[in-house]
Amino acid sequence: MNTEPVLTITGYSGTFPAPDGGRLSVLEDISFSIAPNAITAVVGETGSGKTLTALSMIGLTPPAFRRTGGSILFAGQDLTQLDERAFRRIRGSRIAMAFQDSRSALNPVFTIGTQLGDVYRLHRQAGKKQARTMAAEMLERVRVPEPRQRLSQYPHELSGGTVQRIQLAMALACRPSLLILDEPTTGLDVTIQADILELIVELTREENMSVCMITHDLGAVAATCDQVVVMRDGAVRETGSCEQVMTRPADSYTRELLAASRAELSAS
Amino acid sequence: MSPVSTAQHSALTVTDLVKQYRVTSQGRVGVLTAVGGVDLHVSAGETLALVGESGSGKSTVAKCITRLTEPTSGTVQLGDLDLTSLPKRSLWKAYRDIQMVFQDPSSSLNPRMTTRAIIEEPLRLHSGLNRAERETRIRRLLADVRLDDKLLDRYPRQLSGGQRQRIGIARALAIEPSVLLLDEPTASLDVSVRGQVLGLLRRVQRERNLGYLLISHDLEAVRKVADRVAVMYLGKVVEQGAAAQVFENPAHPYTRALLSSAMTAEYGRTTERFRLSGEIPSPMSLPPGCRLAPRCPLARLSCSLSQPETITISPGHLSACPVTAGQEQETSSPPLCGSDS
Amino acid sequence: MTTLASAQPRLRRLTLTGRSAALKLGAVVVGLFAVMAVVSAFWTPYPPLAAATGPFSASPSAQHLFGTDTTGGDIFSRALAATHTDVGITVAVVGLSLVAGTVWGALIGFYGGWADRLSLRILQVMNAFPSILLAMLVISVFGRSLVDVILVVVLIPLPDYVRLARAEVMTKKHWQFAEAARMTGRRPAGVLFRHLVPNSTRPLLAYAGINASWVIATVGALGFLGLGIQPGSAEWGSMIAGGESGIVDGQWWMSFFPGAFIFVLAAAFHLIGDGLSDDGLTRRGQ
Repeated sequence: MNTEPVLTITGYSGTFPAPDGGRLSVLEDISFSIAPNAITAVVGETGSGKTLTALSMIGLTPPAFRRTGGSILFAGQDLTQLDERAFRRIRGSRIAMAFQDSRSALNPVFTIGTQLGDVYRLHRQAGKKQARTMAAEMLERVRVPEPRQRLSQYPHELSGGTVQRIQLAMALACRPSLLILDEPTTGLDVTIQADILELIVELTREENMSVCMITHDLGAVAATCDQVVVMRDGAVRETGSCEQVMTRPADSYTRELLAASRAELSAS
Repeated sequence: MSPVSTAQHSALTVTDLVKQYRVTSQGRVGVLTAVGGVDLHVSAGETLALVGESGSGKSTVAKCITRLTEPTSGTVQLGDLDLTSLPKRSLWKAYRDIQMVFQDPSSSLNPRMTTRAIIEEPLRLHSGLNRAERETRIRRLLADVRLDDKLLDRYPRQLSGGQRQRIGIARALAIEPSVLLLDEPTASLDVSVRGQVLGLLRRVQRERNLGYLLISHDLEAVRKVADRVAVMYLGKVVEQGAAAQVFENPAHPYTRALLSSAMTAEYGRTTERFRLSGEIPSPMSLPPGCRLAPRCPLARLSCSLSQPETITISPGHLSACPVTAGQEQETSSPPLCGSDS
Repeated sequence: MTTLASAQPRLRRLTLTGRSAALKLGAVVVGLFAVMAVVSAFWTPYPPLAAATGPFSASPSAQHLFGTDTTGGDIFSRALAATHTDVGITVAVVGLSLVAGTVWGALIGFYGGWADRLSLRILQVMNAFPSILLAMLVISVFGRSLVDVILVVVLIPLPDYVRLARAEVMTKKHWQFAEAARMTGRRPAGVLFRHLVPNSTRPLLAYAGINASWVIATVGALGFLGLGIQPGSAEWGSMIAGGESGIVDGQWWMSFFPGAFIFVLAAAFHLIGDGLSDDGLTRRGQ
């Protein structure tokens, strides 16, 4: 079994323009790695920098963001040194991302079949009919009921859970080696959340890929993840196996976060 | 589902609340039943949590209780006052006794008002206090929610989510209501802040003997904070009872599905999931019998034919599923009080 | 989706980046004109309506900064004095349509129902008329007093104010702070005017700025056509008309300067309106 990390971030730092005209450091010395064939969770609250880190892995940081140092190694390449063109070859095919608000990740004026099919046509040079068949197959793999019918439906006709699965299908179309998920369960009902997470765990096994899950939901982390990275205010506070971080947290912030997630009422 | 009456004086009683909307969808006119006959009661000093997923109608129940949305039928009794029969122009007086804490602290405070103005508004409208007395009261409220005085002149945009929510709570407490409706009070807050706000709400409740109706989808928080729980599915209460009982011995299949899906931040806990097939259907096309029947693994033919009756599992613990209640009867010791099988 | 939307719900910032320069510039210029309006009430280099203050149709010089017109009147003084008329009318018109439009729009946006439906029909009819032609028609029929001019020019942009206020109120009345205001015991009208309307001022003021620039130009146009202003009074539009014949002879200054005033003031108001407007871009990318 492969033990080389799929992706390694080392000393990654970056800034944003500050209100007073200077620069504000938003990421400081981020270092962690994503284990192969496993789910690594990047946990933090708002402002922790977890999403920005994820966007850096896929080269989609906002224009105002400036990297001030560090590297991101993936498949022998330093992603920070790639230009947009080179990144486009990787993005979608080798590293894929599913975004937080799945409904807005889909174009409301095109059918599912068109959008999903487009991914195949673009990356796998498939013909129209072939793309449609591949799309239906992919929908089956993400356990969407009645896949053929979904192809001719529009995003707004579908439930949140189904839309999330479709987004996963789009991300998986090219069999990426790394899948980044940004808050995959936000906004979904409790029972659907559990379903989606189960799906993610199964897919990780079946597709032989690695997953990086950005989340603030420690319950989801405990249920599904193998490795955990805890972030706060732009810095990494702790990393380790899921068992270790959740049962024997070394960092004080991690302990606070765990206590809060277990809804321990603090005296206030 | 009528709750067993308790000895305590009920601060809030909801009887057979119904809310229907007339909807035109794809050319056809239909009736959407958001709330299909709900009975609840909250006593002074206790917290009743209303849980459910999307389409359950729990938020609509809150809006109907306060008549921010007019209910289609049913009654809401606040202490001795019948809220539902009040003419609209007298409603504002009734709001002295029941207040609401809203979900989103960024949009529930008027961005153009200072903290002081926000908390002062209900006092100005209801309390009859003069300026100096109001100021004193405002400062005391701020202290109650553990906020510093210097925040009085700040605007919401200058405050954190947790601070804004505390101001929302202070505003709700200003005219000393007896019941608070908490609509997902911590959903929009950061995880680390939630515990503090919940703790604050608990303390305030104890100090003022308030009744709370807590609407939440955060089952962990509900488990810690609620005295009683009512579980809603597609507009109906499917199970109701003491929190401890409902969480330890969920009777209704939906409750079982919900609880087994909930993920706690505890490593290594694996609960066998009780699965429902499919997804929550649209409230527009409701099945004739038990609303869960199409998805329920335990469903029998009789379930789809007519509305299920309410079974008393034990005193105060009610479930709308005769099927599971039947199974329980066989396996457990005799029930504590008379119930049908 | 490359935004940081997921990262944080940023507190709304009042600082506008490139926009603020426009806003400041516009405000400065308008301020200047306001000063001119005040000053010219008490003093102008020459009595504005007097004739023969100097040589007839003289080009700009040290004694007559903007030159003189065919009657020998000093153009600079007249242009300054005209500031009252033009700026005064503009302020009156914009103020009226802003207030009337906001109240009307807010009420129908909040209460909806038949009043809303009826109002929308009325507004549609109002919009259907080509504005300047309508103004000309009304004035030539009903008379050319100042009041008539103001009324007509108010009616033209009114539908836009109404729709804007209506849209703002309709959107915001579902926000939680409006519900919270209901819960504090405010009656619906109180919620509307003390909570919803104050939170809608920004887009309305932005539109008012842009509308003001249109009004100045329109009043000037009406004056040029000889409508609405008593002939002979100081008003930029009619001054432009007065200099019409001279242009052919190369006497550019009689029309140029009042025209320049109109242009600059209209541009200034537009900058203010633009600076206040929220086109969505100013708040995001830092």
